[in-house]
Amino acid sequence: MVDPFPLIFDGFITTVEVSIFGVFAGLALGTVLALGDLYGGRFFSILIRGYVEFFRGSPIIIQLFIFLYVIPTVLNFRIDALAVGFMVFALNSAAYQKGYVKGAVEAIFQDQMMAGLSIGMSRLQTLLHVILPQALRIVIPAWSNEFCSITKSTPALLILGIRDLTAAAMTIVGQTWRVVETYSAIALIYLAWITIVTKIADIVYEKKKIPGIEISA
Amino acid sequence: MANTVMRCEHLWKTYEKHLIAVKDVSMRIEEGDIKLIFGPSGSGKSTFLRCLAMLTIPDKGDIYLREECLTTSGVNLNRARARIGFVFQHIWLFRHLTAQGNVELALRRVLKLHKEEARERALQALREVRMEEWAHHYPAQLSGGQQQRIGIARALARNPDIILLDEPTSALDPELTGEVIDTLRDLAKKGTTMLIVSHEMPFAREIADEMLFYDAGKIVETGPPEQFFTNPQSERAQKFMTRLIKRTRKE
Amino acid sequence: MLGGVSTTLAISIFSLLLGLAVGLPIAFIRTYEKGLRFLVEAFEKIFRGIPEIVLMLIFYWGIGISLPFPFKNAFFTATLVLGLRSAANQSQIFRGAIRGIGDEQMVAARSLGFSRLRSIVHVMIPQVFVFATPGLGSEYALLVKDSTYAFVIGVSELMFNTVTIRKATLDPVTPYLVSAFLYILLTLPIAAWLDNWGSRRKKKLGI
Repeated sequence: MVDPFPLIFDGFITTVEVSIFGVFAGLALGTVLALGDLYGGRFFSILIRGYVEFFRGSPIIIQLFIFLYVIPTVLNFRIDALAVGFMVFALNSAAYQKGYVKGAVEAIFQDQMMAGLSIGMSRLQTLLHVILPQALRIVIPAWSNEFCSITKSTPALLILGIRDLTAAAMTIVGQTWRVVETYSAIALIYLAWITIVTKIADIVYEKKKIPGIEISA
Repeated sequence: MANTVMRCEHLWKTYEKHLIAVKDVSMRIEEGDIKLIFGPSGSGKSTFLRCLAMLTIPDKGDIYLREECLTTSGVNLNRARARIGFVFQHIWLFRHLTAQGNVELALRRVLKLHKEEARERALQALREVRMEEWAHHYPAQLSGGQQQRIGIARALARNPDIILLDEPTSALDPELTGEVIDTLRDLAKKGTTMLIVSHEMPFAREIADEMLFYDAGKIVETGPPEQFFTNPQSERAQKFMTRLIKRTRKE
Repeated sequence: MLGGVSTTLAISIFSLLLGLAVGLPIAFIRTYEKGLRFLVEAFEKIFRGIPEIVLMLIFYWGIGISLPFPFKNAFFTATLVLGLRSAANQSQIFRGAIRGIGDEQMVAARSLGFSRLRSIVHVMIPQVFVFATPGLGSEYALLVKDSTYAFVIGVSELMFNTVTIRKATLDPVTPYLVSAFLYILLTLPIAAWLDNWGSRRKKKLGI
């Protein structure tokens, strides 16, 4: 008879790790993609478009399978399931975040770029010191949305055999047959986690937001 | 003979086939000069000014900053732009930085000064436009006039060879233009070389050494302010001035 | 595989419709009638805050076992869960659309003598749809992708069938690629078309 609490705790940690990694790695990659799309020329724009359409158009479970089975077979090496989980969530999130970052950059781009050039900075410097600092702050509310989205998709991990929170719950139910309590309990855990993170994101936004720039809800 | 700070020769800039903003324009501005460009809206004045600063690249013609030709290929435009100060009609301050931050940015990233020195010079520039008290405020917390004064400080801070101003007061509420004009007056007294696009006529009369009437892409007439207010030579300038005076009289 | 496609499509479309049926009224209730606020907010919190897979497990294993027929069917439960989730999302979409339209339309309709209900039906709803199409397009795409979660209660939708095929053919590559392709085909064209319809209508109406 397994003690449920460590199981749940471990599952929760896994869920947390994947979702946090997904959001932040997704942001980093998404920013790179957005910049590549805006400034990289046609070739990159087309590549990036393909990337985005793939990750936004197919279910995450399929993406997990593709990275777990298809790619290793084609490229002839093995990847550990957990690594696949982290990777796919990050890549998936990046596809969405690229859109948010690109939107934020475009909103402020024209005039801020000209102002940056006017004081003698190069386009690159203006991008780094003027445009990105503003764009990234504008994007913060979209983060918390994205984070909710990712967290709600994490149960998909169980299809790879990864022991996340939902997998833990299923094991417990398998042993104790206490269906409603177990599933409701983890439902509450997910809910609490999402609520806390959203609150934190709100606070961060309040502190870091630029007076005078607000996104329309 | 005074030093020529900037000159352009046979400058052309066209938008979308039909709109010729700059039609074979040549002019020069000497050290310490204050010249004012005025004319009907849509005539291309702002585009012309932006071309001079190479913020918009002209189609044809040459631009010289002191001895350096800016329009040849291979020129380091960033370095050149670092020697030109530009003030925008819509101000365009960096919203994520404080007043001080806005002025410091170029000092640190372009002139590569150290933190302390940049701060000193930034505060000095803010002092010149009398915005020192507001150094730690963000643009959104300040009025339009205050923001524009910071815009001027931002342009000044690098000690540029010349300052170009594109309708610095046009986007401001009337009560706020006064503070900006006062600031420009101070700069004029100090001998700053300035090329201003504006339709603030009384101000023009007071401080401009020369006024240039710009219409449909060309500099139609030039001369001291008095000439335009008493006896414009060209017909188009006459028409423009009459309409202007009629309007001001009505107000 | 094709059986899977039809199941997936069925789930997606029915949940979208369910979501519409529930979400649209909720949106209007939240905007115009502040009374049921607490209930509605709780609903949204639950269905937007809890992973769909978990919801399906709760509904199917928890409630379905004790209640009579419809709930015992996995397909029905999955559609129900996704439909309610969609309703929560759609209520947000429609609220945004209502806000985008602004007060004037309602006020104008009322001034002509329409009751609140009739104003909504004849004046607001047609306009709301035009505004809401991009959101609806992405909601539809989301439903198609989330339909895969139904596997956890045993529905043989596309993804589940794909895995079965793979196990049978021992081919690790083709089934997945084909099904990825199929999903993309199911989501993108319709979402794009909806978006397009929306902007054309907006242009036509001068919005």
